[in-house]
Amino acid sequence: MDMNTKLLKKNAFRVTKERGITASRVRVPGGHLEAKYLSMIQNIADTYGNGTIHITSRQGFEIPGIKFEDMPRVNELLQPVIEGLNINQELPGGGYPAAGTRNITACIGNRVCPYACYDTTAFAQRIEKAVFPNDLHFKIALTGCPNDCAKVRMHDFGIMGMTEPQYDKDRCVNCEACVKACKKKSVNVLKTVNYKVERNEAKCIGCGECVLACPTGAWTRGSEKLYRLTLFGRTGKKNPRMGEDFIKWVDEESIIKIILNTYDYVNNYIDPEAPGGKEHIGYIVDRTGFEEFRKWALKDVKLPDMAEVYTPVYWKGIKY
Amino acid sequence: MMKNEYVPFLSEIKEVIKHTDIEYTFRMTYDGEVKPGQFFEVSIPKYGEAPISVSGVGGGLVDLTIRRVGKVTNEIFERYAGDRMFLRGPYGNGFDVNLYKGRELVVIAGGTGLSPVRGVVDYFSEHPGDVKGMTLIAGFKTPKDILFHKDFERWEKNMDVILTVDCADDDEQCHIGLVTEYIPKLRLDDVSNAAAIVVGPPVMMHFSTQGLLNAGFREENIWISHERKMCCGIGKCGHCKIDDTYVCLDGPVFNFTKGRKLID
Amino acid sequence: MGFLFAENGINAVFEKWAEEYHVYAPKRMEGKGAFSDTDSVRYEEINKVEEIEFDLKSHFSFKDILLPMSETLFFFTEEQVKEADGPKKGAVILLRSCDLHAVRRLDEIYLKNGFEDYYYKRLRENVRFVLLGCKQAFENCFCVDMETNRADFYDASIEKDGDGYAVDNHYSDWEPLFLANSMEKKEVSPSYVTETEVRVEVPEGLSLDVSKSRMWDEYDKRCIDCGRCNYVCPTCTCFTMQDIFYTDNGKVGERRRVTASCMVNGYTDVAGGGSYRQKNGQRMRFKTLHKVYDFKKRFGYHMCVGCGRCDDACPEYISFSNIINKLKDAVAEVNDHDEK
Repeated sequence: MDMNTKLLKKNAFRVTKERGITASRVRVPGGHLEAKYLSMIQNIADTYGNGTIHITSRQGFEIPGIKFEDMPRVNELLQPVIEGLNINQELPGGGYPAAGTRNITACIGNRVCPYACYDTTAFAQRIEKAVFPNDLHFKIALTGCPNDCAKVRMHDFGIMGMTEPQYDKDRCVNCEACVKACKKKSVNVLKTVNYKVERNEAKCIGCGECVLACPTGAWTRGSEKLYRLTLFGRTGKKNPRMGEDFIKWVDEESIIKIILNTYDYVNNYIDPEAPGGKEHIGYIVDRTGFEEFRKWALKDVKLPDMAEVYTPVYWKGIKY
Repeated sequence: MMKNEYVPFLSEIKEVIKHTDIEYTFRMTYDGEVKPGQFFEVSIPKYGEAPISVSGVGGGLVDLTIRRVGKVTNEIFERYAGDRMFLRGPYGNGFDVNLYKGRELVVIAGGTGLSPVRGVVDYFSEHPGDVKGMTLIAGFKTPKDILFHKDFERWEKNMDVILTVDCADDDEQCHIGLVTEYIPKLRLDDVSNAAAIVVGPPVMMHFSTQGLLNAGFREENIWISHERKMCCGIGKCGHCKIDDTYVCLDGPVFNFTKGRKLID
Repeated sequence: MGFLFAENGINAVFEKWAEEYHVYAPKRMEGKGAFSDTDSVRYEEINKVEEIEFDLKSHFSFKDILLPMSETLFFFTEEQVKEADGPKKGAVILLRSCDLHAVRRLDEIYLKNGFEDYYYKRLRENVRFVLLGCKQAFENCFCVDMETNRADFYDASIEKDGDGYAVDNHYSDWEPLFLANSMEKKEVSPSYVTETEVRVEVPEGLSLDVSKSRMWDEYDKRCIDCGRCNYVCPTCTCFTMQDIFYTDNGKVGERRRVTASCMVNGYTDVAGGGSYRQKNGQRMRFKTLHKVYDFKKRFGYHMCVGCGRCDDACPEYISFSNIINKLKDAVAEVNDHDEK
């Protein structure tokens, strides 16, 4: 049997342990989809696969047990899913393109969760449109609030929703619900002064617990959607580590631009000998130094006035 | 122009009488009608207001006996004779001494509960002929907590006074025990017509009124005075409301027929 | 007299009003809900009819205007007091029938019960009420059973009528203004609700004895004593006094009052540490009986107007109308118990 495994992988299929048998990998950017696509995926599994579906750790579906020769027909059946999920596709009918940059994952976000500061799926889809398809190994994840249910700190780019709390002292009745919530559930940056509340702006993480706790509407959310951007968390064999803060109070435009700039940076500095043409960005940054990365990443980026850039950034993690 | 009841007036402290470390009487200037058991909102700007009951009346003066228990009262204790404080009031119904005239009267007071009834006791001490007989049972935690020391000497001349403490050293002159222990020992000619006033902490009031009922007092002949949180004193802020009753307006003095039904 | 207005005509009225009044109406505040990308409907000053939210119940009531959540009463130095100024202009408040009935409750407490409240009266004397007709009931409304679904004691009424606005006027001073700006005179009678999905029955034989019912125990745990039910209520009137001093000049400060909630910790605290109703279930009992029992005992009519905002606002999904409906069984339970 002859099969170009490089092309197979670029088409979002997997080389499995069983010869001649592949698995189709269906990405769902932002992890939220219309239920009707599930029956299409079921149909593929029943018709060409072994009747099972694996729910992946990156919010996709993997349909195992597909014969190599059925890949074109699987791609045909995937076409409405790909179109429905608004995936950038170079060749219509040709299945999922590229498998280097991983599916952009997201927690459930503010379509459902009261804590979320924004629509995580929508922003994930926006990033999807900006960066896909791409062969480089980037992991991007979005989470609605600093609880980080999506574990974005384990990603190259972690996007964490924040809200800048707005305080209307004339509606504050000093019930202290916010002060208690901030102390017990967050970072304890609110205190009562003269029966009103003072917020330590430098230490506030923008989680919105005060807004959620406030019974009078004295605390409300800021009108701008702002984020914390964390960098280069990773799992893996050599040096797994948590992502570190890069920018606090950054906006969507800037985040997208920074990610795109990082693709340029990686293209410039990636180890040409990297196995499979993939190298975790963090190792590249270790090589070039953070300052070089920062220069590339922030090129032509207009950060909001309140954005705080952390520099220099150091990572720790476990070293083997 | 409508009167702004919230704006206080200045009153001068004429004398500060220290009873205990944390209980002083401030003798303040006040011209106007006022009854024992009514209260004033005493305020120290920046610190707030506190409702304080009137413990004595007369000669253009009111006595306000204050227990140092919080932010406002701490600050009041920093004041001396000649200083001025803000007052508004008097508020509440107070005690109507006419209700007790011509009868045997028993006054049971626990701790600072003696303040609101002090005026009543004083009145009948000065007009002993107005009652058929009078007994004062005053209880305090320890001898150090006893209020109105000098008054007791005066009162003893015109009425039966039982001064008791919950616990004390052996050499003290007063009785030891709770006020309730003395209720069954009362010797009254006509208990069914005798009047009683009970003021003190909630638990003390509960057991004292029970004791009086058990001793044969009629419910309608017992009066009590309530203490509740009050922010306005004038029926607005809601804090003192119990059932359909506003303690600040309808009380703080209640006939027990009503008072016993008040469940917070 | 009734009138039909086109949008520009009614806006001419609003423009004229603005010379003399602050005009307050329910307004959708974009993004001001507690959750992200949600709105809040609150009473705000408006200039144009388009700003009025006609189609939703406001989350907070008109009460925020007559009894501001935080209101400075006076400024002081150590020996002097200076009364805070009131607003220069009067107010026109657009509100629904239940809320107009709530005004009567506020008046009862602030103008009658004991002394007149200077600050309330100062505002109240210069307020005109414009009724917003209700074409249908909202979720959780139970005004019909509380008999607050209709009100005719308004200065004027307004509601959408096709592309225009139908207005009924009771205030003669406004007659020329309405005549000049309306399209036509017309018989107008404000819409009102005749049935609500939620029904309540306040049982006969209520008394404080119902405090002993086990029904309240459930709320010890369910209720989180946040006070939202009180803060959104158009009839809650409680406040707490606060003295503050200015940090830049410690000798100067102000006394203010802020809205208080009988559900929130500290409401009954007396100096020295005493407090009453420590369990949330008993606080719920206290609030419930005030709304549908003891207020009536004192003033002759129920306090609750059935707007249902407390139900709308409760994060723990405690339904006040459901509590009212549980009272019947609670009365029976307590009576049974007493008989045994």
